[in-house]
Amino acid sequence: MMPRGVERNIDVSALGPPEPLVLTLAAAERLQPGEFLRMHHRMKPCHLYGELECRGYGHDTRRTVDGMCEVFIWRQGDEVAAAAAQDAAQALAAWPAN
Amino acid sequence: MTPSTALLSLEQTPPLAVPLRFFLTAPLFGLAAALLALWIGPGHLGSRWQPGVLAFTHLLTLGYLAMVMFGALFQLLPVLVGVRLRWPLPTARVIHGLLVAGTLLLVTAFLRDTAGWFVAAGLVLGLAIGTFVAVIGHALWNACSVHDTVCAMKLSLTSLGVTLILGLWLVLGHVDSELGPRAVLIDLHLSWGLLGWAGLLLVGVAYQVVPMFQITAEYKPRLRHWLPWAVLLLLIVWSLAFLHLPRLAWVPGLGLAAVFAMFALVTLQLQRHRLRRLPDVTVDFWYLGLLCLLAAAGLWLVHQGWPQAMTAALFQLWWGVLVVVGAVVALISGMLYKIVPFLVWLHLNNRMQEAGRWQGNLPTMRQVIAERQARRHLYLHGAATVLLLPGLVWPWLFYPALLVLAGAFAAQWWNLLGAARTYRSLLRSAGL
Repeated sequence: MMPRGVERNIDVSALGPPEPLVLTLAAAERLQPGEFLRMHHRMKPCHLYGELECRGYGHDTRRTVDGMCEVFIWRQGDEVAAAAAQDAAQALAAWPAN
Repeated sequence: MTPSTALLSLEQTPPLAVPLRFFLTAPLFGLAAALLALWIGPGHLGSRWQPGVLAFTHLLTLGYLAMVMFGALFQLLPVLVGVRLRWPLPTARVIHGLLVAGTLLLVTAFLRDTAGWFVAAGLVLGLAIGTFVAVIGHALWNACSVHDTVCAMKLSLTSLGVTLILGLWLVLGHVDSELGPRAVLIDLHLSWGLLGWAGLLLVGVAYQVVPMFQITAEYKPRLRHWLPWAVLLLLIVWSLAFLHLPRLAWVPGLGLAAVFAMFALVTLQLQRHRLRRLPDVTVDFWYLGLLCLLAAAGLWLVHQGWPQAMTAALFQLWWGVLVVVGAVVALISGMLYKIVPFLVWLHLNNRMQEAGRWQGNLPTMRQVIAERQARRHLYLHGAATVLLLPGLVWPWLFYPALLVLAGAFAAQWWNLLGAARTYRSLLRSAGL
């Protein structure tokens, strides 16, 4: 049986720049094998993506029904975490392109 | 809640020296304005037509407001609009130098009232502002972004162009009295500069920085879209009415007062429901600025409805103090206390990352400029605004008001300089 991924949550919706970026990167650093991070924010964290990519993380950005932003983050190469993150992300709408 | 459409591309940020040279120069011009008024004294500041008032006003509007706004646009354009300016540092150096020189020349021209100084000031300021409008305008009109902030910036820049043309016309009037200066043109110059250029830019930047830094909900998309256009159309109608049907100019004037009052009320409402309710000096600067904006709109209404309530000269001076010192300088100061620490953090982060260092131990925003120091500036600025209004009537209050205003600008300069020094010392200690 395939092991199940574990979701870790971080809510940065009440924080101002650069705290969402700093805290999310720190939380991503603490991810264990099989774990993915679900970041909850009130806006799309544009500066985060470049930082995640150069540190070797995958990501998927989604929009909740109340217009909030959720970013799913996993370590590249961690197939269990990636599959679990994308499973969880599919329950939400894609973030609008513009 | 609608999704945020903020599209920041911070990797496109220009060198820190680009915006910082403007931000660090501006408080020095504010300080110079206060010291000039102290030197001239209340006897020569009784109406807006006096040379001392014109010199004081232009030290604030060109030396402070335009200085910060030029720096902010150099910074925000690549970040918000995603347009990379060519040679940002040399361009900023040239425009900054020309703006500093042009402002000093114009102030000298007002105080000496000789044609030669006005010609020199007109040429240098025309070059500074004209180059700025061309560089930023070219980038804005080639941008792909359709964000409402970009639209507000375009309309603001258009208003700056109109303000410059009217200003140059007025300068010609000082050289050849056949060409003016005419009171009507001065009112148009003032309105396009304050409401069009400064007002629209503040509105457009507020769409981004209020939700982002003050942790509020977004402005409603419909309001974001129509408000800048309403200001521009009302300014055009008001200008035409002022030139051809002055009796009816109060109608678009009322519209302008209502639009800016609505912006102030909507922003106050957003701030009232902000998600993080910790004390924040930026929000308090904005409270002061927005309340002064509402007071200026109210004062305008009182003057229109009951012109006998105060003399025209006093109304104009009070309105100027409320809009320039009370509202625009306070709103800009509040923004600077978020923008400058954030830029310091961002550039430190980028430099450390380029050098392959982990940036986890970078200072927080509040460590770059301490809340306590910024709050000291807020209290000085608030006190100066409150004292200046009666200080224009009772000369015994005039001197303390201007001293406090000078102290406020000095405090701001010291705080911003501290942020720049923190940046340099951290880079030096990291061996970069």
